[in-house]
Amino acid sequence: MVDFSLSPEAESLRDMARKFARTEMAPHAAECDRTPRFPEEIYRKAHELGLMNLNVPTELGGSGLSLFEQCLLVEELAYACGGMTTSIIANCLALEPLLLGGTEEQKQRFLAPFCASYHLASFCLTEPSGGSDAGALRTRARADGQGYVLDGEKCFITNAPHASLYTVFASLDPALRHKGICAFVVPRDAEGVTTGKDEEKMGHRASSTSTVRFDSVRVPASDRLGAEGDGFGLAMRTLDQTRTPIGALATGIAQAALDHAAAYALKRESFGKPIAQHQAIQIKLANMAQQVHASRLLTWHAAWTIDHGARGTLESSIAKCFASDAALHVADEAVQTFGGYGYMKEYPVEKLLRDAKLTQIYEGANEIQRTVIARELLRGYS
Amino acid sequence: MEIVVAVKPVPEAEARLRASADGSGLETDGVKFVLAGYDESAIEQALLLKEAHPPSTVQVLSLGPAARCEEVLRAALALGCDRATLVEAAPSGPLADPMGVARGLAAALRGKKFDLLLVGKQAGDDEEGVVGSALAQLLGVGYAGFVTDLRFDAASGHFRFRRTVERGTELWEAPVPLLVGLQQAWNDPRTAKLPAILRSRKQPIERFDAASALEAAARSLGAAFALPAPRTGAKLLDYRSPQEAAEKLVRALREEAKVFP
Repeated sequence: MVDFSLSPEAESLRDMARKFARTEMAPHAAECDRTPRFPEEIYRKAHELGLMNLNVPTELGGSGLSLFEQCLLVEELAYACGGMTTSIIANCLALEPLLLGGTEEQKQRFLAPFCASYHLASFCLTEPSGGSDAGALRTRARADGQGYVLDGEKCFITNAPHASLYTVFASLDPALRHKGICAFVVPRDAEGVTTGKDEEKMGHRASSTSTVRFDSVRVPASDRLGAEGDGFGLAMRTLDQTRTPIGALATGIAQAALDHAAAYALKRESFGKPIAQHQAIQIKLANMAQQVHASRLLTWHAAWTIDHGARGTLESSIAKCFASDAALHVADEAVQTFGGYGYMKEYPVEKLLRDAKLTQIYEGANEIQRTVIARELLRGYS
Repeated sequence: MEIVVAVKPVPEAEARLRASADGSGLETDGVKFVLAGYDESAIEQALLLKEAHPPSTVQVLSLGPAARCEEVLRAALALGCDRATLVEAAPSGPLADPMGVARGLAAALRGKKFDLLLVGKQAGDDEEGVVGSALAQLLGVGYAGFVTDLRFDAASGHFRFRRTVERGTELWEAPVPLLVGLQQAWNDPRTAKLPAILRSRKQPIERFDAASALEAAARSLGAAFALPAPRTGAKLLDYRSPQEAAEKLVRALREEAKVFP
C-alpha cells in the first residue's frame, strides 16, 4: 500500500533543515544575492550540522541519507535561498561518481578525509563548447607512463574557486565519443589546475561559479574511477541520482513564491478589499498551489522509486523537468501578484524568479530531460 | 556528575491554538509539541556542565502523554543527553495540576542519586512556574529559581550561580544536590546535528509507571478554558524604507490618533 505520511524520523530531519534554513540562511539571502557574496560561514555551519555530504555513507563521514530524505532537506533549504542550496548540495553531485564508481580504497582515501572537516568538491563535466552533448567533450586525457595527463577547460563549475577536490570527465580520444570518456579525481592543488574569475550570474548569486583549466595536469592511474571508457556511464548514473533533488530545490523556490504571494494578497488592498478576494488573484493562487503540490509529489515519487532500487531515469527526469518549469511559472505569478512591488529588488519575489530560471538549465537542460522522457516512454510502446 | 533535566512538551510557537469543543482545555489535535525555550536552555546548561566535568551523565525526564513526550525526549537525546525517561500520564487530570506533575516526577526520581536537577524556570506554555519548587519540596533538595550563569566548583563541591531579581543580581553558592529553575536564553542552545537526530530515533526510552503517585487527588482543576477574543483597532502601515515608515507613523499619530499636536 502506498503511504504519503512522513515517518517521525523524516519529520525530525525536515524540521531540523527548516530551522537551519529559516534562522541561518534566510536572513542573509537578500544580501548575498545583491552583493553578491559566497557565505562561507553558512556553508561551514551546514557541514558541521551534517547538511552537506548527504549522500555519503556514515562510515565515510557523510550523513548517509536516502534520496527521499535528501529531497525533504533540499526543499527546506531552497525555500530560504536557492543559490546557497546549490552550493550546499554541490558536494553530493561531485562525490556521487566516487560513490558509484570508486573502489573501497579510493573511497577511503578520498572521502573519509574530505568529509571529516569542511571541504567543497566540484563536478567538472560541462565545457565551453558543450554541456548537454556530454559525449562531445574535448578535455583530453593522454595515457602517459604511470597515469594520464589532462588538458582542457571546464565551465559553469559550481563552487570551483572554493573546492579542494574535482571529479573530472575527460576523453582518451574524441573520435571514440562516449566510449572514450574517463572519470578522474583531481585535487585542487595538483600542478596545472587553475580556476577562472567568479561568473556574474542572473540568479543563485550566493553560489560561486567559474571555469576550471587543466594544463598538463598529471593524474595517477590509481585516481581514475572505474575502467577506461566508463566515464560517460558514470556521469549519466550520477545525474540519475542527483536530478531528483533539483526537483526538490525547484519545489522549495516555488513554495516560497506561493507563500509570499498568498501573504501579500491577504494584506494588499485594491477596490476596497484585499486582492485575495478578487477572483483573478484567487485563480492565480489556486494554479500556483497545484503546481507546487504536483512538483512535490513527482519529486517524492522519483526519490521513492530510486530508493527502492530502480534506476528511475524516467521518474527523475519528469520530476526535475516539471518542477523546474513549475518553479519559473509560480515565481513569475508571484511577481505578477505583487505588481510593481514584485519588480522591485526590495521585495523577495524577483529573486525567486531569477533563481527558478537556473533549475530549468542545470543538471541537464529541460530540452534534454524531455528527450530522455520521450526515449524512456517510447521504449514501453515499441 | 549526575544531571537530570525535566522537560515539558509544549505547542509549537507557530501552532494555531483553539479551545477544545467542550471548553475544558486546548484542542491538541494536529498541534505539534516541541521543547520550550526554557527547557532548551536547561538542556544546554546540562550539556555544558557535562562537557566541563567528565565523567558526567545527563538524564532527561518528561511527564505527559507518550507520543508527545517521546518527541521531546528524542530531541533531547539528539542534542546529547544520555538517557531518556518517559513518565506516562493522560493529557487531562494530573497534567492540569502542577502538584500532580511534581508528584509524578518526584516518584520517578525518588531514591535515585543526582547532583543537579534542572528545569526551565517556568513551563513554555502555561508559564505557571510551580513544578520546580514543588518538586524540590517533595524530594527534599534545595531550590533556586530565575538562575543564570550556573557553574560547578569541583574543589568545594558547590554550585555557583546568579539570580536576576528586582533589586539587582544576586550571587549564590549552594551544595549538591540542587534543583535549579533556569532563566531562558542566557546561553545559546545548540542545534542537533543530522546524524545525532537519526541516532536518537533508535535510542531506547525508559518508561516509569507513576500511576500510584498520580492517583492522589489533584489540588487544582481547570474549570473552563477559552482563548482571549481577538483585539481589533490595529492599523498596519505599508512602507518601503525606514524613513517612509517613520513619516507615516508620525502622520498617523498626529492626525489620526492625535497623540500629539
